[in-house]
Amino acid sequence: MRKFTFGLLIVLAVLLVACPSPATPTPEPQAETGGQAEEGMPKEEKVIRIGAAVSETGKYAREGQDTRQGYILWQEWVNNEYGGIKVGDERYKVELIIYDDESNPDTVTRLTEKLITEDKVQFLLGPYSSGLTKAASAISEKYKIIMVEGNGASDSLFERGFKYLFAVLTPASRYTESGLKALADAGAKSVVIAYKDSPFPKSVAQGAEKWAKEYGMEVLAVESYPADIKDATALMTKFKDLNPDVFVGAGHFVDGVLLARNAEEVDFAPKAFMLTVGPSNPEFVEELGKTSNYIIGPTQWERTMTWQGQYFGTPEEYAKRYEERWNEPPTYQAAESTATALALQIAIEMAGSLDSDAVRQALLEMDVMTFYGPIKFDETGKNVAKAMGAIQIQDGNIVVIAPEEAAVADLIYPMVPWNER
Amino acid sequence: MSRFTPPSASENPVRRYDIWLWVILVLLAALYPFTQPTTARLLIAIQMFMLITLASNWNLIGGMTGYVDFGHLTFFGIGAYTVGILMTRSGEVIFAPQLSFWQAWPFSGLTAMLFALTLGAATLRLKGPYFSIAMLATLLAMREIVRLFTPLTGGGGGLDLPPELNRIQEYYIALGLMALSVGLMWWIRNSEFGLSLLAIREDEIGAEMRGINTTLHKTTAFALSAFLTGLVGGFWAWQNTYIDPDVVFFEPRNLEMIMAAVLGGLGTVWGPPLGAAVLYWLREFFWNRFLFAHLLGLGLMLIFVVLFLPGGLVGLLQKGRVTSVLDLWRLQPAHEEET
Repeated sequence: MRKFTFGLLIVLAVLLVACPSPATPTPEPQAETGGQAEEGMPKEEKVIRIGAAVSETGKYAREGQDTRQGYILWQEWVNNEYGGIKVGDERYKVELIIYDDESNPDTVTRLTEKLITEDKVQFLLGPYSSGLTKAASAISEKYKIIMVEGNGASDSLFERGFKYLFAVLTPASRYTESGLKALADAGAKSVVIAYKDSPFPKSVAQGAEKWAKEYGMEVLAVESYPADIKDATALMTKFKDLNPDVFVGAGHFVDGVLLARNAEEVDFAPKAFMLTVGPSNPEFVEELGKTSNYIIGPTQWERTMTWQGQYFGTPEEYAKRYEERWNEPPTYQAAESTATALALQIAIEMAGSLDSDAVRQALLEMDVMTFYGPIKFDETGKNVAKAMGAIQIQDGNIVVIAPEEAAVADLIYPMVPWNER
Repeated sequence: MSRFTPPSASENPVRRYDIWLWVILVLLAALYPFTQPTTARLLIAIQMFMLITLASNWNLIGGMTGYVDFGHLTFFGIGAYTVGILMTRSGEVIFAPQLSFWQAWPFSGLTAMLFALTLGAATLRLKGPYFSIAMLATLLAMREIVRLFTPLTGGGGGLDLPPELNRIQEYYIALGLMALSVGLMWWIRNSEFGLSLLAIREDEIGAEMRGINTTLHKTTAFALSAFLTGLVGGFWAWQNTYIDPDVVFFEPRNLEMIMAAVLGGLGTVWGPPLGAAVLYWLREFFWNRFLFAHLLGLGLMLIFVVLFLPGGLVGLLQKGRVTSVLDLWRLQPAHEEET
């Protein structure tokens, strides 16, 4: 009996070691093309292979879906309408390989390795979230594969000295920049900041502190709260005693809603109430009703913004196209994902080559206007041209109030106190 | 509950061979990189070796000693953060000696072991489900402590490690650690130390009365298990190049390590490695075919195994010789009532 057990164990183990990935039988016809397959096969087929590991399941499933839809929208457009990416005199169709990383840090590294070494992708698009982008970009950097991303906003991504990582979105530290500037111009003098203790909100809060000081406001307090906060009334009471002009809450959707509710409960009513992530989402208004009015939030992108791009037209035109394809309005995660792929396309066309270093040089020299806003990368790979927009909820509508070139309404300041609505 | 008959080396001559089969298997695995696999395949093997090592280490305290540890990932996390803090080049933390991996790695095991010795003094006095829950609470507490201890751990912002990524080197480290861990389990199972652990599992008071220093044995098993788990954590942090509380204290990893041991067969030498290999393969299977239901599938499988396959895969083949989670939880209070 024991011998049988052992036989089974050995057979199984040998099988598993010898072919560790039996469930993913990818064809490997190009095993001999060598290296990154920059020349050779793709040229005859005129196909550019681009890969991405994006969460379809797990905790980033929702945002991952927006990301995926944004990527696919671009791919369908570039293949069917645009006629393929122009490289020199030739047109290349895009083959987009997207896997589900399960929001799992181990899966994202495995899939990134697979995309590069087995699927032989020439370029990568980013996953969703800063943490997963960190693990994935270390791998693409090692293989000198360009990764353009639009969903990892933490500034520390760009402090690792990576040469092949680029991000079209405005980094977290600049989230509150235009909002605080508008408030300073309106006469706000003091600020309190609360942030959720995870990478992205932390960067937002550090940025907010910096911008507040730069625009001549006094920072009265900076407090962090745990990721799974259930009650913020103590925090809000504390802030109420400080009596600031502006409150900045850096977090995500759920805790944003909580902060607003608790502020109303303890009647902490500063002259302006700013939250990251939540306010630009229509569900935020549904959730909070009239409490949501006058709340200010940063936004990467809104369909009402007035940019005019060469390829997808205005944000409104992009949004219509998106709705037609996916039967739902685009979130900014979707828009920045499309913009991510678009930036890569523009760089390839500028370079006239599929070589990583040539495309990298083109990315560094890029200075374009798109439906998503201006794109111009600095040496570290951050998009420095695009300022964050700011929106305010006015009568249940999300309207852009800053920056001036994209604004459609004026800031209402100070806000009407909670109990007088 | 008399089905337990302590195995001994002399009674089971086959046991002399099984370690050689393991050695051969490891040597075969050591040849795998010479077949020019892609680094993606190497990484799959690395992750599987890590899971096998974790399951095997968990088995030492959870299966052999009978203390079902629901928070063993704590030690993985301590190991990961030890290497993270010692290696990071970040200027934001107060203590960053910027060591190389080989300098930092041993400390990951040592800190985990020290923590286990301290913690074990308290939690190993608990029995059955109480121990399990105390350890689960420790895990959750540790995650929050790491989050709050920003000056040292980077808090929610995490720590960057120098991205050195050499999959071949990582493959051999993971393989070596796995070979060592499983080999050690084999040795323990066949030693007096291991027999004492089994005696503690089956009847702790009885063992005490027969002159076994139960506290010493339990604590040693716990510390050794934590040491090896800490080493896996430190290695993981290095090969992932980035740690934060969410990716290190990732709940599915905690579940998988326990699940692998339970699926394979608690307290056996070869059950946890077999369980881990099968589980890893199944995970891939679910991942590929039932994209949205794979966690559900794993959850159902866990329930199925605990209820209908209590002895795990090895128990299926060796009737009546393998213990189960339910056994371990019911045994202890029952014995207390008897005495």
